[in-house]
Amino acid sequence: MIVSETLAAVLRSGRETFNSQFAQARRQYPALDVVSFSAFLVAVVDPLVRAVAQMRPEQVAEVTMHAYETGLTLAGQRLVGSGARYPEISDGLCRIGVAAPTLFAEAPGVMLASVSNALHTLASTPGGRAAEWIEEMVRLANVATGSAEFLRAGQIVAWRSGLAHYRTGALSVGDTLPEKVALAAIGANNGATWTGVRDRLAADPWHTPGNVASSLRIVGRAGAFRGYGGLFTEPPQVAPYGDDFMVRSAGEYWLLTANAFGATFHRAAEAEWRSVSGQPPVPPSLKIQRGKVTWQNASVDLPLRGEISSAAANATTLALSSTTSHSIWLIALGVAK
Amino acid sequence: MPIFDIFQRVSAAPTNPQPQARARVFDVADLYRGPVAEAPDQTAEGALPLDEKLRQAYFWIVNTAIISPHYDIEYHEPPPQSFVLGDSRSRLTLPSAQSYSSFVLMPLLTFATRRKCLFTGGPGRGKTASALLMGVLAGYPVREVRRAMVHGHPQMTIADLLGNPLPADLVAAQNMDAIRIAWRRWLSLRVKIVDEYNRIPTRTQSALLTVMGDNYAELLDHIHECPEAAWFLTANDDLGGGTYPVIEALRDRIDVVVQALAFNSRFLEDLLTRIEENIRPEEVVPRQIVFSEAELDRAQQEIRAVELPAPVRRRLEFFTSQFEFCESAGEQFEYKTKDTVRLAGVEWHTITAQETGRDRLKDLGCQTRNGFSVRVLMTLILYAKAIAYFRGNSTVELEDLRQILPFVLHDKLTADPDAPFFEQQDNAVYRTDRVGWLRKLWDLSCADYDRLNLDKDDPVGELSEEFQRGLEGLTESEVNRRITRIERVIAEWAKGRKLYGHLYDDLLKLKYLHQRYTNYLRWLKTQ
Repeated sequence: MIVSETLAAVLRSGRETFNSQFAQARRQYPALDVVSFSAFLVAVVDPLVRAVAQMRPEQVAEVTMHAYETGLTLAGQRLVGSGARYPEISDGLCRIGVAAPTLFAEAPGVMLASVSNALHTLASTPGGRAAEWIEEMVRLANVATGSAEFLRAGQIVAWRSGLAHYRTGALSVGDTLPEKVALAAIGANNGATWTGVRDRLAADPWHTPGNVASSLRIVGRAGAFRGYGGLFTEPPQVAPYGDDFMVRSAGEYWLLTANAFGATFHRAAEAEWRSVSGQPPVPPSLKIQRGKVTWQNASVDLPLRGEISSAAANATTLALSSTTSHSIWLIALGVAK
Repeated sequence: MPIFDIFQRVSAAPTNPQPQARARVFDVADLYRGPVAEAPDQTAEGALPLDEKLRQAYFWIVNTAIISPHYDIEYHEPPPQSFVLGDSRSRLTLPSAQSYSSFVLMPLLTFATRRKCLFTGGPGRGKTASALLMGVLAGYPVREVRRAMVHGHPQMTIADLLGNPLPADLVAAQNMDAIRIAWRRWLSLRVKIVDEYNRIPTRTQSALLTVMGDNYAELLDHIHECPEAAWFLTANDDLGGGTYPVIEALRDRIDVVVQALAFNSRFLEDLLTRIEENIRPEEVVPRQIVFSEAELDRAQQEIRAVELPAPVRRRLEFFTSQFEFCESAGEQFEYKTKDTVRLAGVEWHTITAQETGRDRLKDLGCQTRNGFSVRVLMTLILYAKAIAYFRGNSTVELEDLRQILPFVLHDKLTADPDAPFFEQQDNAVYRTDRVGWLRKLWDLSCADYDRLNLDKDDPVGELSEEFQRGLEGLTESEVNRRITRIERVIAEWAKGRKLYGHLYDDLLKLKYLHQRYTNYLRWLKTQ
């Protein structure tokens, strides 16, 4: 294992403690592998410690200790190292750590845990785009002025990176951030105001900053056949569920949340599905006929194959499923002007 | 505290995820929750629901403290897989839902409900260690719990048990009030542990009975009021192996009996770790699972609030009714009970010899020599609520009753080993397996209940419901109609049915209703 002299010095000085921690972690996580953990030290801890040493040398030991513990936890659960389930975690910790050493030096325990957990959440949620979150967080490292601000901004970025179900929470978090940081997190240009951007995003779930489209249009597909990494073993059916949708496939149930930044599925119970069955799936004025959706004098052609097996609409979105597809088509109904 | 201390690990909530619909609230703060714990110490009181905290305590005990890899309290959601093994065709069932070890769960429920639990089993099986853990869960330092533990021995006096008068006062006092008593520390604890209680001399047992039954201690006309407490008693052999026989009243005060099951040699490695780490589990109880007095009070209230639905209660009524009835015990209807026989001191077999006509194999009442008391029924209901609460439910399920019943009735329902049921080849095992026998009794009772279609065809239930609506404003003709209906039901039953326990209880209930209506009618006629 080749690491920088900075990290090696800290490891040497606390050799007994670090070895004891490793032994204890091994008992808790029998899968903890020396090779994987060493790889984490080299690939993640070393660059982070070197970056911290340049900016806040007095915090090197503290950061090393926390990074060491985090590494043991992650390697013990096979989340980093060779054969890791989510390589995005190592990659993200390394890149964000190098980009934001002062923030890690300021609150090493919180930052290491939070960033690791966020990367885990993004990587393990179908539809989450961890790579996008990493890119944006690297960019935000120069915008945020403290670790707490940085992590709050990260919640907005997580929504933008596919975690659609965080929309309401992320908009609230934006209200607590300095305007510059909030706008950077949501991806709006500097000329905008947070209030303006926020109001548009709150009114229309299919709005993205800088995009003017607001009419009836196909906005995406969610879900796929399980054999291709999706959730469904047979074509799903949809039903309206407040601002979201309930989905059923082969006796399994999910809640689907969808907006401009992504779509996520969450396990649901049969009782939830039953609670929505019987509700009118779409408003009477919404017409779905001969491969076309018509709504308020606008229409859009559907690229679906096969018969439409179910349709469900809420105030902003129409969800459609067909007999031959394992995906759910999402159509933005547009916002009344 | 090192973050990788395996003895401090508490299972993450929720420990028993429920499939039912939850409120859908997505918290953006969840983004930063995951495999890396930022602050593992969740000590804020009230941070978790108390049923969750109880489950965490349970899982910490089974995973870390007491090596009890037994799942004898089995729950199933989809039908379980089971296998038949060996010459005796033993059935091994793999539970399909979260199941529990009675040796840990029963003491924990006793702790939460502040009742009394007896641990039985051979020496060195963790009985005392389990009791100690309960003391630590109540927030007492290990040393204090150890020191306050009562150790039964043949020379134990009442003073040893309760306390001593101060010697100076004994000499100087002019009256009894002036004698101060140094009460024993254990009397003031909210967890009381009596080790090897069957080694305590009979006279001292009587003093213990006062504390257990009435929650106060008395010495030289001085009274010491004890706080409400959970009791844990241990006995190496509860069936006669102790130095002194346990007085019946003391035994009756014990709410549940739990057996320490044998150590599974496949878990020797866990013992090895303890030796190497020099760890005593009771000394490393995580703070997150320690309960304050207020939390225990609240848990008790929440347990009592768990609903016992009428259909479940009805099955319990039916089960209970099977055992007290003894047709040949008395001439008057009300005295046809096993308690009449017991009080008369008549040999049991002389009574059973007189039993004719009924199918003694099918009559569940023939399997026992007694029925059970009101205290037992109350205990049964409370523990059924407690296990439902522990599982995170707001209502008691039938299976909760089935699982809890053997531990409550363990020492309360006395089997008649000469009953025809035990003579059957497949049933001989129930002479030794008391828990299995009690569950079998419950299952047979439920099967009988279904056969009689009592959920749908229950005239006594209908009449009771009618009566429950009150007598206020009832007309004479309506009362007469109800009296006639009661008489008709009894006449119908008198035609051909043999008398069984459940019919006996129903008939007494009908007599009660008849009497209440008769009295009311009499009053009505004077108006």
